[in-house]
Amino acid sequence: MKLELESVVKTYGTQRVLDSLDLTIEETMCLALIGPSGGGKSTTLRLLAGLESPTSGTIRIDGNEIAHENQQLREYRQRVGVVFQAYNLFPHFDAITNIALPLEKVHGYSRGRSLEKAGMLLEQFQLTNHRFKKPAELSGGQSQRVAIARAIAPDPDIVFLDEPTSALDPEMTAEVLEAIETLIESKKKLLIATHQMGFAKHAADTVAIIAEGKIVEVGNSSQVIDYPRTARAQKFLKSYLKF
Amino acid sequence: MQPFGESFNGVMRLFSFLPYLSKISICGLGIALMFQLGCSKERDTQILVVGMELSYPPFEMTDENNKPTGISVEMAQALANRLGKNLRIENIPFAGLIPALKTGKIDLIISSMTHTEERAQSISFSNPYLHTGLCVLVSQSGDSNSIEDIDQFGAKVAVKQGTTGHIYANANLKKAEILIFDKESAASLEVAQGKVDAFIYDQISIYLNWKKHSDTTRALLNPINSESWSIGIRKGNDGLATQVNQFLADYEASGGFDQLGDKYLSEQKAEFKKLGFPFFF
Amino acid sequence: MSRLVSIGGAILFLSLVLYTSFSALEYQWNWESALRYKKKFADGWIATLWISALSLFFAFLIGSLATLCQRVRIPLIRHLSMIYVELTRGTPLLVQIFFFFYVVADAAGIQNRYVVGIAIMAIFSGAYISEILRAGIEGVGKSQLLSAKAIGFSEYQTFRYVIVPQALRSSLPALAGQTANLIKDSSLLSVIAISEFTLNAQEVNAITYSSFESFFPLAFGYLILTLPIMRLSRSIENRLRFET
Repeated sequence: MKLELESVVKTYGTQRVLDSLDLTIEETMCLALIGPSGGGKSTTLRLLAGLESPTSGTIRIDGNEIAHENQQLREYRQRVGVVFQAYNLFPHFDAITNIALPLEKVHGYSRGRSLEKAGMLLEQFQLTNHRFKKPAELSGGQSQRVAIARAIAPDPDIVFLDEPTSALDPEMTAEVLEAIETLIESKKKLLIATHQMGFAKHAADTVAIIAEGKIVEVGNSSQVIDYPRTARAQKFLKSYLKF
Repeated sequence: MQPFGESFNGVMRLFSFLPYLSKISICGLGIALMFQLGCSKERDTQILVVGMELSYPPFEMTDENNKPTGISVEMAQALANRLGKNLRIENIPFAGLIPALKTGKIDLIISSMTHTEERAQSISFSNPYLHTGLCVLVSQSGDSNSIEDIDQFGAKVAVKQGTTGHIYANANLKKAEILIFDKESAASLEVAQGKVDAFIYDQISIYLNWKKHSDTTRALLNPINSESWSIGIRKGNDGLATQVNQFLADYEASGGFDQLGDKYLSEQKAEFKKLGFPFFF
Repeated sequence: MSRLVSIGGAILFLSLVLYTSFSALEYQWNWESALRYKKKFADGWIATLWISALSLFFAFLIGSLATLCQRVRIPLIRHLSMIYVELTRGTPLLVQIFFFFYVVADAAGIQNRYVVGIAIMAIFSGAYISEILRAGIEGVGKSQLLSAKAIGFSEYQTFRYVIVPQALRSSLPALAGQTANLIKDSSLLSVIAISEFTLNAQEVNAITYSSFESFFPLAFGYLILTLPIMRLSRSIENRLRFET
């Protein structure tokens, strides 16, 4: 995918979260956004996922500008998948319904087809035994994997993941990262905001560091993480190496 | 000191060993005991407590300062003075007066209450002090002229809860539907608005209600029965009964009732004289 | 087993308190006369049952409508609905009964007091139900709205599949309480001579001068109606539970 963000500004009230951010990536299969908390990486991801609109500036994916108003924006959202840090699933539906419902109601699948596809995905993520459980009965790792299944169920163009493992312990983190790896292996376009440096370096091909609402550095993942060029990037990455 | 402390601890330990249920019962009995001790029958005998419903002008009502006033109030005051006690008036809805008397909350009922057989089974009555009768308020339209005209299928008759009008309606109306109100004003409003066909109540009140809705109602002032009002006394309270009857005789003789009649009921006196009805006292 | 014992103990304690309070009065109990009028009690109870059931049905319709109106984009409709809810909740039922029956219904020419009575209770309870539903809707976590947005749900779909099911579940206890309140509040319709349970019990009291003997059956009769509702609500809540 090709990403172009030109002079993107995003303010919430008086707070200027993205400060005329510019980013151009000609081609990437998996982009990782890293950076300090509150620096703007989640916001950038949400703008790219069509969940919010920028205060000013333009965003283009594969040459197409993301719309600002409702109907087109909603259609765009239906073509991408999103996984949040937590609270993805609806607590009053079980796992299989959480996956099947959007397929049926948004993408026009028949009831049977949607349940069939949901079942297949759950099997793919080794969750078949949990398919009738409500989210409250699933562990953190299990519910994140169900969320990923839900996101990829309608075969989206791009999958956005906003710090999917930040709320999980190391064991569950590994579970979820493995699941994400299978996505990459199956050639899905991914955009992930994360604190997992190792994963970013290893799984993503491009990495962008966002801090204070601006792009600090962008480039090949191994290069940026191991050999950061800017002082700001170095400062950020040093704190990871410290402990 | 020491032995006391030890035995106290011992009692406490024993207490905690008792099963849960017994502990509850002991606490319950303890509270019950307090009830009995608290509700001592030593009531202030210097106060005469009289119950009445203060929504029945000109007998029982309140003035602008929310103080009780009216014919019954003045009677009660005169009686209290005679007995050498202070008067306290309790404003109780009519239907609640007899229960209040029975449970001892009030000493007397002076609330324009009619002496009936059924009531006399629950309480005692003094000698009568006023004679009146039930009559009917009907709507302006329509041609009912008597209670017989009104007692038809589909007709609606209003009465006030617990009054002799209510009792009369239950006993005598065979076809009409009886609707029960606890406010006289609501009942007469319904006649005025045509929601009910008639309201059965005593002559004086029907007259007053007619005055209030003079262009939408008519008063059929011919009494359909005759009743007398007495003061209500708790059964067994014979001493007070004798005193009350004595008071009533003296009050009549000294012209007390005539004064009250002139003060509060002058208009009715004149009007009834015109219509040829005997006046009440 | 111990639960039964403690409930039994509590009832025993309360009965002891009641018994001693009553024996402190000099009251002659007169159950026969109250029993003579058991048809009156029964008729009144059935009337209250019907009135409550019909009022409840319409109250839910009115309440749901009012809640939906508050989410509509047109300011006039939103404000009308808010004014209705605040006025109705802020004024006494007694006042509303008199006003609706003697002024509004009279002007509209509606004579049947039972119809008006049911309408009054429906309008009155509807306002409370509307607030309960509104609180339930607003109580649905905002993160879920974001999730619904992310999967491409329209506003209507979000409302229907995400908000409403959860709002109803969380409103259930309050709705059960409001239902019980409606049943008890309907006793106030006695002031416009609607022959429901309370009025009939009052009549028996007036005729036989036996207050407690009339009012105990009255309290009992209302309990028979309200207790099952509370229990039913509890059991539904338990079945629909989805939090650990």
